[in-house]
Amino acid sequence: MEAVKKYGEQELVLLLKQRHQSAFGYLYDNYSSALNSIIMNIVPDYEQASDVLQEVFVKIWKQIETYDDTKGRLFTWMLNIARNTSIDTVRSKAWQNSRQNNELTETNFAAAGNVQTNIDQIGLRKIVHQLKEEHKVLVELSYFKGYTQDEISKMLDIPLGTVKTRLRTALTQLRQIIR
Amino acid sequence: MDIQAYIETGVIESYVLGMANPHEAAELEQLSRQYPEIKQAIDEFEASLEKQAFANAVKPPSSVKDSLMLTLKDEFAKEEDTRKVVPIVPSLDKGINNQTPVRSIAGRLKYVAAASVILLVASAGLNIYLYKEAKDARVNYLALLKENSTIIADRGVYQTRMLDMYNSMQLMSDPAMVKVAMSGVKDKEELATVFWDSKTKDVYLLANKLPETPDNKQYQLWAMVDGKPVDAGILGDCNGLCKLKNIPNAQAFAITLEKKGGSPSPDLAQLHVFGKVG
Repeated sequence: MEAVKKYGEQELVLLLKQRHQSAFGYLYDNYSSALNSIIMNIVPDYEQASDVLQEVFVKIWKQIETYDDTKGRLFTWMLNIARNTSIDTVRSKAWQNSRQNNELTETNFAAAGNVQTNIDQIGLRKIVHQLKEEHKVLVELSYFKGYTQDEISKMLDIPLGTVKTRLRTALTQLRQIIR
Repeated sequence: MDIQAYIETGVIESYVLGMANPHEAAELEQLSRQYPEIKQAIDEFEASLEKQAFANAVKPPSSVKDSLMLTLKDEFAKEEDTRKVVPIVPSLDKGINNQTPVRSIAGRLKYVAAASVILLVASAGLNIYLYKEAKDARVNYLALLKENSTIIADRGVYQTRMLDMYNSMQLMSDPAMVKVAMSGVKDKEELATVFWDSKTKDVYLLANKLPETPDNKQYQLWAMVDGKPVDAGILGDCNGLCKLKNIPNAQAFAITLEKKGGSPSPDLAQLHVFGKVG
């Protein structure tokens, strides 16, 4: 998936802020697949993930002015947009309803093969699954489902302080696995 | 401050993954400016995250890009417009200073001309519209005028009719008025009434139920004076109480059907109605 890089990141950001269509096309060509894997970690349906991906790129185009390169990489900024948009989608009523309608179909899929479990075998989620159970559940709920630490504390009936420390430990381990 | 320990707390991952709260984020940004090790740790995690995402990339359907570009089509158009303006600025520096005002005047004239044409077209359109409006108003005005005169004429008719009725009522209610009920000769049904003013001796006839006359005939009233019929007048086209002749003296009245214009003496075979005075 290595695309030819004709722009440096700084140059790319500058051109995007000047609203160059070609730069935006380049951004899409180079980053859409990577961002799509993040989205698919949260929105398992391929079609719906595509809709979210489009929404994410529209947001990137409209919000590029707010990107501050002193605070981090362009990819990190886009990754967070992708994660937030995906979580918003999954939590929206419309999506919940369509999930219910799809339930039967998905059960059929699950019976036929392993489509539904594939989500755990791609991207960041695959790495999270290497963590200990007590850590895994926290990352699942906070990163992929977007719950706050307070909400998780109540859901799992674990003190907030414990949630905080365990999550930090989990993330440190995550970094070590990625590296 | 133990930088390494701070790095190991997981705050960096939390920050990069967008899970840190605003307070933690602000603190980390502050510290990363102060300590290059922290900055470096952030960079490293970001880089490994990016690398990891690229390694696991899932290609989206190619239709997404087309749809995306279509969605933002108008935004790009704006971009094209703003960029076209840019090259004009350096041409100012090339020393052809006069060219710009001339061009701008010509350009402005173009706009003025375009504006004039638009105004002319708009004004012509407005004229047509207003002309039609005026025409319609005129037609409506004439119709109203006609309606108004009809109403006035009708009012005149009703006024006359009412005055007649008023006068008739005055006459009928006069105590000096002698009322003579006129009955059909055959069936004794009351068909008309004669009003005879005992003071002025004028005779009036109210033809309440007299049958319609044939076209060439008219009713004629006769006063029976000492056994002889005296012409008391012909019943013409009059509604309500009709004033006929002046009869100084009479014992009875009779109505015959005569040829149009009346007869000097009655055709007694055509005696239809008869009434005695008193």
